[in-house]
Amino acid sequence: MGAHGVKPTGQTAAVATTMPVTPDRGEDGKPFVGPEDLKDFDPAVSLAQPSEYPFTRGIHREMYRKRLWTMRQFAGFGSAQQTNERFKYLLAHGQTGLSTAFDLPTLMGRDSDDLLSLGEVGRCGVAISSLDDMRRLFDGIDLGQVSTSMTINAPAAILLAFYIAVAKEQGVPLDQLRGTLQNDILKEFHSQNEYVFPPPPSVRLVIDTIEYGTQCTPQWNTVSISGYHIREAGATAAQELAFTLADGMAYVEESIKRGLDVDAVAKRLSFFFDVHNDFFEEIAKFRAARRIWAKVMRHKYKAKNERSWWLRTHAQTAGVSLTEQQPMNNVVRVAYQALAAVLGGTQSLHTNSYDETLALPSENAVKVALRTQQVLAYETNVTQIVDPLGGSYFIEKLTDEIEAKAEAIFKEIDAMGGVLPAIDRGYFRRAIAESALQQAREYESGQAIMVGVNKFREEQGKPIEILQVDQATEDEQVARLKELKKNRDAARHKAALEKVRQSAGDGENMMPSLIEAAEADATVGEMMATMQTVFGSYDGGPEW
Amino acid sequence: MSKQPYRILLAKIGLDGHDRGVKVLARSFRDAGHDVIYTGLWQTAQATMCAAMQEDVDVVGVSLLSAAHMTIMPEVLKWRKQYGIEHVPVVLGGIIPVQDYDAMRKMGVAALFNPGSSIEEILKEFSRLAAEASHGTLEEVQAGYTTGDQVALAKLITHIQRDTDGNGWAPPAGDALVLGITGSPGVGKSSFIDKLGRELRSRNLRVAVVAVDPSSPLTGGALLGDRLRMMSGSPDENFFIRSLSSGTVLGGLGPKAKEVVSLLSGFGFDIILLETVGAGQSDVAVRELARHTLLLLMPDSGDSIQFSKAGLMEIATCFVLNKCDLEGADRTLAHLATAVGGDRPLWKVSTLHNEGIDKVADWVVAQR
Ligand SMILES: Nc1nc2c(ncn2[C@@H]2O[C@H](COP(=O)(O)OP(=O)(O)O)[C@@H](O)[C@H]2O)c(=O)[nH]1
Ligand SMILES: [Mg+2]
Repeated sequence: MGAHGVKPTGQTAAVATTMPVTPDRGEDGKPFVGPEDLKDFDPAVSLAQPSEYPFTRGIHREMYRKRLWTMRQFAGFGSAQQTNERFKYLLAHGQTGLSTAFDLPTLMGRDSDDLLSLGEVGRCGVAISSLDDMRRLFDGIDLGQVSTSMTINAPAAILLAFYIAVAKEQGVPLDQLRGTLQNDILKEFHSQNEYVFPPPPSVRLVIDTIEYGTQCTPQWNTVSISGYHIREAGATAAQELAFTLADGMAYVEESIKRGLDVDAVAKRLSFFFDVHNDFFEEIAKFRAARRIWAKVMRHKYKAKNERSWWLRTHAQTAGVSLTEQQPMNNVVRVAYQALAAVLGGTQSLHTNSYDETLALPSENAVKVALRTQQVLAYETNVTQIVDPLGGSYFIEKLTDEIEAKAEAIFKEIDAMGGVLPAIDRGYFRRAIAESALQQAREYESGQAIMVGVNKFREEQGKPIEILQVDQATEDEQVARLKELKKNRDAARHKAALEKVRQSAGDGENMMPSLIEAAEADATVGEMMATMQTVFGSYDGGPEW
Repeated sequence: MSKQPYRILLAKIGLDGHDRGVKVLARSFRDAGHDVIYTGLWQTAQATMCAAMQEDVDVVGVSLLSAAHMTIMPEVLKWRKQYGIEHVPVVLGGIIPVQDYDAMRKMGVAALFNPGSSIEEILKEFSRLAAEASHGTLEEVQAGYTTGDQVALAKLITHIQRDTDGNGWAPPAGDALVLGITGSPGVGKSSFIDKLGRELRSRNLRVAVVAVDPSSPLTGGALLGDRLRMMSGSPDENFFIRSLSSGTVLGGLGPKAKEVVSLLSGFGFDIILLETVGAGQSDVAVRELARHTLLLLMPDSGDSIQFSKAGLMEIATCFVLNKCDLEGADRTLAHLATAVGGDRPLWKVSTLHNEGIDKVADWVVAQR
């Protein structure tokens, strides 16, 4: 498709054997790293042992020997009922963790019958507009027995309210609820664009869920602080690392301001990083992340519990590295990236499917992605030794370097007054967009290579089969929602929304009023709109 | 007529928030010396094509990554026809399965690109389409203008801007009230104009906006980002928005700003709001064109250093303290009141919460 000025190259064509030198690698012309490059390196300080502060080598002593990383494949299905069936199937086959992907309207806090939802309902995930939908999603599933991960941000508090309301109906004590809410609104402002309210009230909602969690659902992971989307939007590895950790610090600081105990908050925070193509840099990124987080939690925020110093993370292979051209090459990319995540010491991993650039992944592609992890886990023996690259001159130098880059970025953010003021100035979005442009230029000039795209090109082969979503799911969901809106107790519904409006204005914790509104059959869209009357809407901030 | 720089509109339509590609393109087009109007996230097909009409762009580029092209593109093309701009080519980029290319072309999409397409190739195709784009002859659009045809108005602005000499034709004299809106980048000028404009519309006034953004001194291209703040309500033909680049004159209003304003006034708009970055020569230029200059300010961490900057205080005839929902608003307001004195109006506004805008509108109405 894209003519890169490169003639299609057959498999047997001669290949140039010199490689372009990556600018930040071997800059002094030296093709290896030695002790002379690690002058200030003291393993006792920078490394220690796995499970010891500053956790550069990992948070557990036995790591994968004792417990393999979790192979958590995230996937979405049309209606609540279809997803429910899928959940039950997975549970019957021994899985205990459920992962919920929501459709785009739900992610944006809009009901299925909203004008802008047209054509998107149930397409990339499940459509949840009301408590009734959530009830059907978990029909016949004991919420006291499963752990549920919900990838949702702007309306996260509302979806949590639905979940809690279902648990109450099932008679499950709230302190038994286990799961994870992504609930990381800051990265939405930087990159993923699924925001609704302006930054300050958005962050307040996150802190409301954290506070509620420490009081009522102590086993629930309240925020999954995500660098994945930041990286996918174009950030460099150092930017991904720094922006994500800065976001994490912002949540911790806001929680402390709320009067919460840092140890109660910290143990329920986890992270989510991208794993990209630059193999060693990615490994170094995970190691540096753990070290930085341990330091700030211990010294800056004075957390006392050692667990609060741990950076626990999920990882996903880089969606943007996949190519539509020669899609089977993606299997190879994903495998290398998965290896980097594991050598970096991730706690869980999602491997992408090779056909994901075009549409929802096919069943076969999903299976290959999972098998990639299984081969890595069971055949390569990389699970046997913790942090096997620790002590490598190169890895330690890279780890120090990426940490230093992150520190420099923290200084910039601090100079602006913190994450929120930096958002106000468009700092993150501009930085990410500039990096994206820079990368695009490198591919354009051939300085960076994407196999099958700007080198080793072939004529486009047969287009791959694409999963089609049928329109019936949307129609049924919309009809059901209309029915609900007609039949609910109007007075109770109105009073509950009024309470939501009040608590938004009063600044009290919103969770109780959201749960009550959920029980009064208020919809996601209605609760969002009610809060918008108080909070206003966000337009993305300055960028250009 | 020299057609460079081309005017290109880039749009995201629907709920899909993936904007990496569209932003890389916007910057690349700017760096290639073109004017880029980006309309931001979550637009409807109708608002996008209304913008394309008012801005009289050479090409519209739509970026879709949510696989909703089969729903969205027919809408886009429907509205292109409704707004009478079928001459504007529409290009589609994003995740479009090859299987759907034929259907898209048949529908009327001029070119298709996917994530593997090179910027160079995309630029080339846009330029080819832009070079072919028709803005009518000067006489045609002048005739259309006099019959009240908004498409002709939009095209005539392009002509006036690009042509070095006209043909002696002049628009009828209008009696629009012209207001300059100035202030540092990010204080909320465009958002304020959006809300003020809609408030004035609700009072049955016809409103036109001219938003000027600086061109890059290096490449001559510009990212025109004001319009995306002005699309909060549904598209409205009597709320006419036109984005212009300043050209290479630092801080200027761009070529023929005065003529553009006369065109809008002569077309029958009641109010013309002129957005400029308060710097350099634009102040003087705005003062020549506008009856009043409103200076926007925002709450500051404490002192009033910002007020004395660049002599803006002297030039402004009115003051708007925007973002009064932020901390420190009252303190800043007090400082400002002292600095301004009692003889020039000063309003406290929160554009975000639509507060205080009605008072400004009252004043505007009283000026007519
Ligand atoms: N908090 C707050 N933000 C505002 C207000 N008005 C505008 N903004 C935000 O300020 C940013 C810059 O606004 P914009 O209109 O583009 O400013 P301009 O550069 O002066 O045209 C946007 O993100 C707006 O949403 C307001 O009254 N309160
Ligand atoms: Mg502006």
